[in-house]
Order: sequence, then C-alpha cells, then structure tokens
Amino acid sequence: MADVVLERVEKRFGDIRAVAGIDLTVRDQEFLILVGPSGCGKTTTLRMIAGLEEVTSGDIRIGGRSVTHLAPRDRDIAMVFQSYALYPHMTVYRNMSFSLKLRRTPKSEIDRRVREVAGILGLTDQLNRKPRQLSGGQRQRVAVGAALCRQAGVLLFDEPLSNLDAKLRVHMRTELKRLHLAIRSTMVYVTHDQVEAMTMGDRIVIMNGGVICQAGTPLEIYDKPASRFVAGFIGSPPMNFFEGEIAADSAGPAVVLSGGLRLPLLRQDLASAAGRRVFFGIRPEHISLAEAGRPLSDEAWAAVGAPARVPAVIEVVEPLGHRVILTARSSAGPFQTETEIHEGVRSGEKADLWFDMNRAYLFDRDTEAAL
Amino acid sequence: MAAKAPIFAAAAGAPERRAPLFEREAPFGYLLVLPAVVYLALFIAYPFLMSIYMSLTDAQAGSRKWTWVGPQNYSKVENYQILANDFVIATLPDEAAARRLVTAHDQAKVVTEPAGGRFRAILEADGRRIPLLELSKEDDVSFLGETIGKELDWRVEKAAGRFRVVAYADKDAPVTFGPYADRETVRRELKSDILVPARTSVKTNGKGVLQDPNFQLAVKNTFKYTFGTEAIKLCLGVPCALILNRRFGGRRLVRGLLVIPWVIPIAISAQAWLWILDSTYSVVNWCLVHWGILSPGNIINFRGDKNWAMLSVIAVNVWRGFPFTTIVILAGLTAIPDEILERARLDGANGFQRFVHIISPMVRPILMVSLLFSVIFSFTDFNTIWIITKGGPYDQTQVLSTYAYQLGVNAGYLGKGAAISLFMFPIMAVMVFFMLQFLRREA
Repeated sequence: MADVVLERVEKRFGDIRAVAGIDLTVRDQEFLILVGPSGCGKTTTLRMIAGLEEVTSGDIRIGGRSVTHLAPRDRDIAMVFQSYALYPHMTVYRNMSFSLKLRRTPKSEIDRRVREVAGILGLTDQLNRKPRQLSGGQRQRVAVGAALCRQAGVLLFDEPLSNLDAKLRVHMRTELKRLHLAIRSTMVYVTHDQVEAMTMGDRIVIMNGGVICQAGTPLEIYDKPASRFVAGFIGSPPMNFFEGEIAADSAGPAVVLSGGLRLPLLRQDLASAAGRRVFFGIRPEHISLAEAGRPLSDEAWAAVGAPARVPAVIEVVEPLGHRVILTARSSAGPFQTETEIHEGVRSGEKADLWFDMNRAYLFDRDTEAAL
Repeated sequence: MAAKAPIFAAAAGAPERRAPLFEREAPFGYLLVLPAVVYLALFIAYPFLMSIYMSLTDAQAGSRKWTWVGPQNYSKVENYQILANDFVIATLPDEAAARRLVTAHDQAKVVTEPAGGRFRAILEADGRRIPLLELSKEDDVSFLGETIGKELDWRVEKAAGRFRVVAYADKDAPVTFGPYADRETVRRELKSDILVPARTSVKTNGKGVLQDPNFQLAVKNTFKYTFGTEAIKLCLGVPCALILNRRFGGRRLVRGLLVIPWVIPIAISAQAWLWILDSTYSVVNWCLVHWGILSPGNIINFRGDKNWAMLSVIAVNVWRGFPFTTIVILAGLTAIPDEILERARLDGANGFQRFVHIISPMVRPILMVSLLFSVIFSFTDFNTIWIITKGGPYDQTQVLSTYAYQLGVNAGYLGKGAAISLFMFPIMAVMVFFMLQFLRREA
C-alpha cells in the first residue's frame, strides 16, 4: 500500500501562500495528475510530497505513515524531474544504479534490477553511454528508469515531457501510461498541459491560486466542470463564454446574452433564478454549422439534440485536416467552433451556428461556480 | 583565405571584376587582427626566438660580439667527482668494543702501503688494521686516508642488532674523490676505491646550467613553490567556494572583497607583504609576541630564515592566487543545476556523498582549467619572489625565473640566463600536456 494523503497542507514563501491548505488523497496504484496554470502551486505540492520543500503546516502521509518531517530519502518515493536531472559524468548504468548503491543493495540485485528496467524501457544498448550521447527521448527514459529502479511505492513526475518535441511527447505519453499499467505503482504527475492531463490520468486534480478547484476523472471534469476556471482550462480549443442573464417567461427559462440573443434553457429549475447574472458557456465541439437561413441537416439535428440558432459572421477559418476551427462573431461576441469540414465556408460569410443546449453550462457571474 | 585568392581569380578569369579592396571582407579582417599580430610578433615571438638564439651563444652584457657556442650553455660536462660520506669503519657485535674503538680515535694512525701497483690507506686503531682506500696516487691516498681516519668525527650507530662505527662529514661537505674524465672511470673507481661501506654519489662538473648546483636547487625550489602554492590554494579555495555558494546576507559583498588580492597589482601588494614579513617590524611577530606565543627574543625572521623564507613566499602567492581558484570553483558550483542536487538528495546521498559523487566530478573539468592557469602563473612567477626575498637567503627561494634574472641580467651572462629561462618551456609543456590529456578524458 502506497497511498498519499495530504491534510490541510499549506506552504508559504514569506507572505505568499503558494499552497493554501489543501486536502488530497492519492489512492494506491492510482495515476493522479496535478494540473493548473503556472504558479498555481502544483509543483510546490509535488515537491512537498517529495520532501524537497518543507511544509509550513499540515500533514503528509505515505502508506499510512506520516512523512512530514522525514528526509526525502526516507519517504519511499522516487521522482522524475523536468530537466531529467541526469548525472552528466555517470553512464546510464550508474545513473540508474546510483540510489541503490547508496542504499547498499547487493551488486547482483542492483544488476538484475537495472537490466530489467533497461529492458522495459528499451535502454539495454545504451547502458554504457553517458547522458550527452543520448537523444532527448532516451534521456527522458533514463530519468524514468532511474526512478523505477528504486522500486519506490510512489513515483513523482514534475512536468517530465515538457522538454520534448511535440511528436516525442505524444509518444512518451503513451509509453508512460503503458508503464503505469505494467508496474502499477502510485504515480503523481504534474503538468500544465491539459491534453496530457486528460489523456494520461486516472484522476485529475485541477489547481489554481494554491487551492484545488476540482478533482475527478477526466470525463467528470470535462462533463461537469465545477467552475468557470475548470471549464475554461480543460478542453482545446477552450470553452466559449458569453456574459448573460437568466430570464423566465411563459416559454420557460432562457438566458439572454449581452447582444440581446435569447437562448432557451432546458433545465426548468432555473426559472426560479431569473434575473441572475451568469456566464453562459459552450464548448466549440458542441456547436454545429449550417448555411445562413437554412435549417440543420437531419443527421446534424439528431446529433445536436437541442439546438439553438445563433446567427454569426465567420471571421477566421483554420482547417485541421479532418475538422476545422472557425472563429465567428455573433451579436453576443466572438466565439470558436470546431466542426466537420464544410465546403465553401469562407471568412466574411454569414452562417447560422447551432448551439447544443444539452451541453451548455451556466456559471454564476460573481462566484464563477457552476449552476 | 590568402591561399585561395589566386585560385578564385583564376576561376573567375577576370580579376578586375573583384570588388574594390575596402569592400572585400578578408582584407578588413586582416586589418583588424594586424595590431594583435604585430604585438605578438614584436613582444612574444621575437624575444622568444631571440632568447633561443642567445642561449646558443656566449652573449654577455656589454659585449656586442656573440660567438656561437652550441648547446654548451645548457650542458657541458668537464669532469666527474665522487662524493662520499658516512664511512662504516667497523661493524662490531658488542657496544663496548665499538665505544672503545671510538675512544681510540685520537691515537689512531693512517698508514699508506703499496698494493699491487696502487696504494692503500690503512687505519690502525685499537689494535685493528682497517683498509680504507685504494688509489693509484700515493699523495691522494694519504691525504684522503687522513681525512677519513683522523679529521672526520666518529660515532656509534646501532644497526640490525650490531654496532657500527661511522666516520661522518657534514652533509654539505662530503669527502670528494676525483676529478675523473669520464663516466666509465667513475664507475670503475666507485667499485674499487673505497674499501669500507660508505654512502656515495657522483657529481658532474661543467659549465652548462645543467651542471650548476644552483640551477638544480632552483628547479627543486620552483617545483616546491608551484606545488606548495597550488595545493594550499585548492585546500582553501574549495571550502571557500562551498561557503560562498550558500545563501547568506552580504554574500555579494564578501564575493567582491574576496577578489581584492587578485586585482591589486602584485608590485603593490607584495610591498605590503614585505613590511608584514619584515625582520624587525613584522606585524605578525608583533602579534605573536603580544599574544604571548613567542618571546620577544625569539621572533621569526620570515625572509631571512632558510626554513621560513619558502613558506613566506608561498604564503604571499597563495594569498594573491586563491581568490581566483575560489571564483573558478564557485563558477563550477553555480553551474550545477539545482535539480541534480535535489535528485541526489532523493537518491539518498547525504552532504558528504553529494560532494564526493556529484559535486566534485562535475566541478573537476573547470577546476583543472583553473589549475592549469594557476600552475603556469606560479611556475613562471617572478614578481612575488623578487620583491619579497630576491631568491635568498642562500638561494633557498631561488626559482628558475629569478635565477635566470640573476645570472642573465645581474651577472651579465645573457646566454646562460636565456638557457635557464628556456628550461621552463619543456617542463611546462609536459605538465600542460598531461593536464589537457586529463581534461580531454573527462569531457
């Protein structure tokens, strides 16, 4: 059992509260992602778990044992750093075996473990090389390998893929996920990249300003964002937001956007919230496109569910190949949509965009919490 | 570029089409390096080649006619001598007999007898007849026999359970045999001349600097000075750099103050040291006396005492040079990424293990570079020693650079002076070669 429990953990740097008393549980064998913009406290949290940063107040337990005041080496953890932190003067073999040697592990056991890990990571041919003779991806794997050799209960990753080029990053993402399935140790992974967060984690913890905004599985976070910040952070291109106000009349509740555009709401309970100032949010992928003045095609209609028409002018067209990102301007303001390729969509043309009101979100304008 | 120019012109076939002189890049480049080339040629290359030439002539100050003498300034053997000391007169089983022999020294007699075409000196003492020497000339035998048998002091030494009676001379005044013309004779004489066990060595006499005992002393002193300095610089520089690498209030100020010895011209700071180490007014002595460590009659003569003089000049050079070592090591330390040290902590390395396994191997290449510079500076250092001791007392701090100056400029033997200063070149070339070799292996 190597679960990690943080209880009201706080970290101050002088007057600055980097981490403002967070509670967090990482379950045994879980792949947990800490994600957030830079300066949100995610790396500080990870470094506190590692013991590289002292905890101002609160308690950290690993495997049921309080490690708050233990030295890093006594915490049953291993860490992979952003810059890989390989010892440049040591061969790959010595880099991977260094921690075991310091722990006086028998030579034969060290050799067995290093070769096993090197086999898993495909580094067997590189064991006698020095780090500078390796490519970026190989160095990354050596860093992971050095952490794996420890056979620690918890593996910590501090933005390990951010120094790789885009293609390699996608590849290593898959590799790390496969590795987790193979070795099943608890992993805490810090990243600022929401794509990494969504694709890799069993569970995502989104942090901002030193507090946890939301914790949940990737789909929970995507489908039910707890706040406007989470909704805007997860998803690419990001969710569109419009300022508006809830109105209610005989036709049922609706949201009136700033340009006077009125969109019917499906949730009847919102009728009682009439007059409330809100952010109306909708993801680009939940907006469909039709020619101006024409209804949606039948299949599009079926896919959207509860469409609401928003007339707009297409401003920018960015084809991705299989899909296209459109930036459009409506009376309520600019927004983006990601749809199927439509022949003949050109910038400057008028079009009707259909919002799927099933997938629309409302956030309180003051608290930014989801309604 | 210069070599390629004609090819270019030929290929183009129309040299008049080339851009005007001042539009072209290459001539402008040459123009920019011209001052440096002139400087190097005038002040480095010319004196260097000149001193090589001078060292092969009999150049003397004041004489305009230099005659080519070949390598004789470097080495010219004239003859050899055997130096001998510690003659074991007798080895006896009991101490009383040995003591009796020593007391019989006063009544001892040395007689010379012919022995097979040669002559033999025999010592007669305490009823014993001890053959001492065998030489071909009767005069030599009787003179040297008297010296060993009568003039030297005798003492009893215990060795392997037995007692030896040893006739010994002062270390710097051994009994000399010879001169002999060639090495073959020396070897033969070494075997047959001295009939009792003794400590012997061969001395080469000649005009070249290699045969000059002062030159040999200067070489020894130069190495002492260089390696003494560098060792202490490292011992001070490493801890200083480790301390300065920590965060503390006023760190920038301390770093700034540290380099002061390095930036003050040595002529000025050495003058201050001259006073600090003065034989009468030394502030160090004053402090030591004031604190009761020394009595006023026992003050240290830093520049005049042959044991202290070398330490003094080393101390001044260390004082001046260790800031540089510290700054270089500090630069090496700062270049180690924090993440590497953090990973080492996670890997379980304590402070000492981090220093041994991570910090020192990572600092080593840059440290070697600084050592390389530092060794060159110390090896060729003239200023410090010239200002503090001028090579004295009794040549105890004479190094190659000061000796070259003494002999070449002060005494006027320009050729020999040049030969001495050129000796630094191969020695340093070897040291630099090994250090660069090491650096290349590390990198």
